[in-house]
Amino acid sequence: MATVEERVKMVTARVLDLDPAGIKASDEFGADLGAESVQSIELVAMFEEEFGIEMDEDEALSVTSIGSAVEYITKVCKEQGAAI
Amino acid sequence: MRLILIEPSAAKRADFEPLSLSRPIWQLRCGMTSLGEKLIAKLRPAETACFVEPYMAAFLAESLTMKVNDPATLAGADLLLVNGRVKVTGFDVAPTGAGEIGVGDDGEVMYARLSKAEADKCKADTLEAFLAVAKKIVPVKTVNLPVWNYTWDLVLQCGEEITREFKARGRSGVEGTLEQPSAIRGDPKNVYIAPGAKIHPMVVIDAEHGPVYLDEKVTVHPFTRIEGPCFIGAGSILLGAKCREGNSIGPMCRIGGEVEESIVHGHSNKYHDGFLGHAYVGEWVNLGALTTNSDLKNDYSSVSVIMDGKRTVDTGSTKVGSLIGDHTKTSVGVLLNTGSYVGAMALIMATGQPLQKFLPSFAWLIDGHVTKGFGRKQLYATAAIAKSRRGAKWTPAEEAMWEAIFQLTAEPRDAAIQKGRKAMLRK
Repeated sequence: MATVEERVKMVTARVLDLDPAGIKASDEFGADLGAESVQSIELVAMFEEEFGIEMDEDEALSVTSIGSAVEYITKVCKEQGAAI
Repeated sequence: MRLILIEPSAAKRADFEPLSLSRPIWQLRCGMTSLGEKLIAKLRPAETACFVEPYMAAFLAESLTMKVNDPATLAGADLLLVNGRVKVTGFDVAPTGAGEIGVGDDGEVMYARLSKAEADKCKADTLEAFLAVAKKIVPVKTVNLPVWNYTWDLVLQCGEEITREFKARGRSGVEGTLEQPSAIRGDPKNVYIAPGAKIHPMVVIDAEHGPVYLDEKVTVHPFTRIEGPCFIGAGSILLGAKCREGNSIGPMCRIGGEVEESIVHGHSNKYHDGFLGHAYVGEWVNLGALTTNSDLKNDYSSVSVIMDGKRTVDTGSTKVGSLIGDHTKTSVGVLLNTGSYVGAMALIMATGQPLQKFLPSFAWLIDGHVTKGFGRKQLYATAAIAKSRRGAKWTPAEEAMWEAIFQLTAEPRDAAIQKGRKAMLRK
């Protein structure tokens, strides 16, 4: 089974139309990956679908990088009992 | 006599959504005034009080001078309780007299008239309990009063109502400033420009087919054409608008582009070009440049409206535009389909083609999909900014009301979000 980081990169690549192999944990969604505010909304929606979780909007949108997304999603999955 | 404005049943209130989500029915506008103001003008009560949905009571109490949901108002005076759906023009019940309760075919209380002595016998903690006792001590009769059934009824009746109220108010002439060259077509007696209103040069006021009432401190910029019947509320600004017949614009609005037979509540902006026709727009709405609504189907058939995401209502009219709830904002270039329901506190982005006809409250429509967006807290923050720009405050009671509305409107929104997710995944 893919890791949380691999799944985060896969979703990010699909939403932002990028090659997942080129995405690093340190990449910022906006500055490095070119995500606009509208795409941030889509990213949150697709992360929720991918992991079967519900994220608090304010918390989710304060996540700015792939690495911090992995941390946050891992935390939420544990809190909500979602398998990872 | 004390007038008590009361609400219809929840089911009937739902027929006025999304506008009724954040206000009682009697605060809806038609013509120059709200339905409640019409009742007050006709019945001339010594005082007025109201009973509203509990979730909006605290917010309304902040802005109204009348008492809200106060059981004490149900005693100590002759009372006339009137349902906000009742059309004032067909309400011929004497304000005082022998006690009686008029109900519709389905038992909905249309009015209740009680003497002070009768009212004092019905003492209760709630309106419902009060009416239950009242029905036992005064005659109850079935009545067939004319009533408002849907929001579009108000839109379709608006021009006629402006004409009636203009006549009743009995004002005409120029008390503000009418800069030249400007033109008044038709009978100048059909035009009233209130004190403080400024009409710039190159404005045409066409009162040939109905009166034009420009309230205090209205500003009309050059190249605006205003066709009567028309009412423009205090402090509103028309910016080179093609303001066609039948419009009622509330206070402090900014109106440009083409607007026809529409009602716009206060503090809403349609600053730029784009067509708005046969629409009802709530308060604090902002329609981005080139936002346009269709109000007529290409096959000229009757327009239907999807009221809660699944209940389709045939309006019986070939001309119905959009119903847009309070605090909703559209981006540039949004195209709204004929008879669109655009919920309150929504944020709508253009897709380049007409949008789906039902857009739930608190929706963030992105790329044609309903999403949760940045969440309702961000919407509240934006609403607070919008209000502060007009010197108004976003209050805790207001936020509490919107939190209740968020819960009330969850079901169709959640369904639309799920549908949007599936569409995103298919991309």
